[in-house]
Amino acid sequence: MTLIECRGLTREYRKGDNIIRPLDDLDLDVPRGDFLALMGPSGSGKTTLLNLIAGIDSPTRGSLVIDGTNLANLSRNKLAAWRSENVGYVFQLYNLVPVLTAYENVELPLLLHPLDRRQRHERVRTALERVGISDRSDHFPRQLSGGQEQRVAIARAIVTDPAILVADEPTGDLDKPSAHAVMSLLKELNEELGKTIIMVTHDPKTTDWATRTLHLDKGRLAETGASLTHEQEALA
Amino acid sequence: MNPLRCIPYVIKQVTRHRVRSLLTVLGIAIAMFLFTAVQAMNHGVTVATTETANDTTLVVYREDRYCPATSLLPQDYQRRIEDVEGVVSVTPMKVVVSNCRTSLDVVTFRGVPKAEFIDGLGSDLALLDGSIEEWMSRTDAALLGETLANRRGLRPGQRFDAAGITAYVAGIVRSDDAQDQNVAYTALEFVQLAGRDQLGIVTQFNVRVADASMLDRVSKDIDEVFRTAQEPTATFSEKAFIGRVADDIIELVGFARWLGLGCLAAVLALVANSIVLGVQSRVSEHAVLQTLGFSGRLVAGLIVAEGVILSVIGGLVGGAAALAVARWGSFAMSVEGTSIPIVADGGLLVSGLLVCGLIGVLAGLVPAWQASRREIAACFRMA
Repeated sequence: MTLIECRGLTREYRKGDNIIRPLDDLDLDVPRGDFLALMGPSGSGKTTLLNLIAGIDSPTRGSLVIDGTNLANLSRNKLAAWRSENVGYVFQLYNLVPVLTAYENVELPLLLHPLDRRQRHERVRTALERVGISDRSDHFPRQLSGGQEQRVAIARAIVTDPAILVADEPTGDLDKPSAHAVMSLLKELNEELGKTIIMVTHDPKTTDWATRTLHLDKGRLAETGASLTHEQEALA
Repeated sequence: MNPLRCIPYVIKQVTRHRVRSLLTVLGIAIAMFLFTAVQAMNHGVTVATTETANDTTLVVYREDRYCPATSLLPQDYQRRIEDVEGVVSVTPMKVVVSNCRTSLDVVTFRGVPKAEFIDGLGSDLALLDGSIEEWMSRTDAALLGETLANRRGLRPGQRFDAAGITAYVAGIVRSDDAQDQNVAYTALEFVQLAGRDQLGIVTQFNVRVADASMLDRVSKDIDEVFRTAQEPTATFSEKAFIGRVADDIIELVGFARWLGLGCLAAVLALVANSIVLGVQSRVSEHAVLQTLGFSGRLVAGLIVAEGVILSVIGGLVGGAAALAVARWGSFAMSVEGTSIPIVADGGLLVSGLLVCGLIGVLAGLVPAWQASRREIAACFRMA
């Protein structure tokens, strides 16, 4: 069942007199429960596509329908509310709030939900246990290693139980053991909790954890398109 | 969602950026200390010079004289003033000041006929400490206004020297009238004898009239009685008299209002600077909040709330310090024997905090609006 449906998705930026088009007329379907890896050279449009799916950027043209909602039709405020319900974002550099403890960072997205303190505490505790970092809950980000910070960031991404996790090079700043642990965790979330994961990566080894890999180049899918849309898959 | 749930997040931003917050709060506190002090002076002028329906006292002074040392009126004017229709009581008063110039620590002696004073002008005084009987029985006894006693650290039973007079403190009194709070009431003869050939000579008469609406008419009638006398009089309501005598102080205090406005501008600049720097250093953090689902409006609200919290804390520290200093120092600006008290009370602090809150909102508005309108993805590209 298709969760994410992109049609003619185009994103343009104006830089001086030039128009830059990091994403160009892209068609893509992502089924529910997929673990999709996006690869490609710098500037190929991977992060732009990720940002569009996460609802933090808007397409210049084309449609992006996620679970029946066309994101282009949502106002800024409604898009923010949609993000808080449906998407968890894992950044390459973790992007934890430095003045908040691990616990407080994970609690942050829950402040937007109608939960009392006890319910929030329960959810935060569960998320921290899930990523195996509950013993560091009162540590500030500066007191954590990169791998631990990324685990906290993943806990923050899953604490609201979103259907989609987007990850922008989640292992890009980690050593090998930490990268392995993070990928293993993402795989668990995909398989055990059924999260749909879309991950941007430069590392071919991490694509082994994904169910499929797509390559982008100059804003377009670079390969034959065999795995682009269900219709195209059927035709193939 | 309930935005108040995010207030702890804002408080953590303030308390965990300690150096930034402390420096900002310190700057705001200094500016608000000055602002509150200026407001206290303004308030004192208002209290001392604004007439109310309860004001029924006239001051009869020597025409064209300002300093108590030069206003010399025969004491026997008292009987002729008492004959004017509408006059309830007349209290002759000899005023001696320790310093005729403008100063923050002037001791003003008011010599009064004791029995008349207790039944008339003095009936509004509340005795805080000491004994009225002792004041009545001793010729050198003085009843001190609370503010004067606090400023000089005087207690009943002590002696003090000022203006060449040595007096014994018989009691401390409190009054709603700012003038009474800053004077020492003694026997009329005691003060008259302190000067050369001053027996039978007074500085002024304080006249009580039956009703506030009669002030104008009675003052004209009194001046008319003495129009052709050797020592003609000029009669004013007590508040107008203070306004006339303390004109220089009032003008200076009026100018100090600009200083107050300057303090507010300094607070605005400090808070705005702190918020702008904070927002600039947290561009990606605000983008993360929006990625998590915080709306632009909510992020803007958090930024404004941070400005308000910093501003109100600074205002509270500075305002409370000004209040404490004003209370502890019991300052009054005195000239020619009249006093303009520096009145700092809780109301002044509350109004200062409201102003601070408003400034916090104003200071945060522009950076908050900018932060809320930024494209999230662009913020990450910038970082």
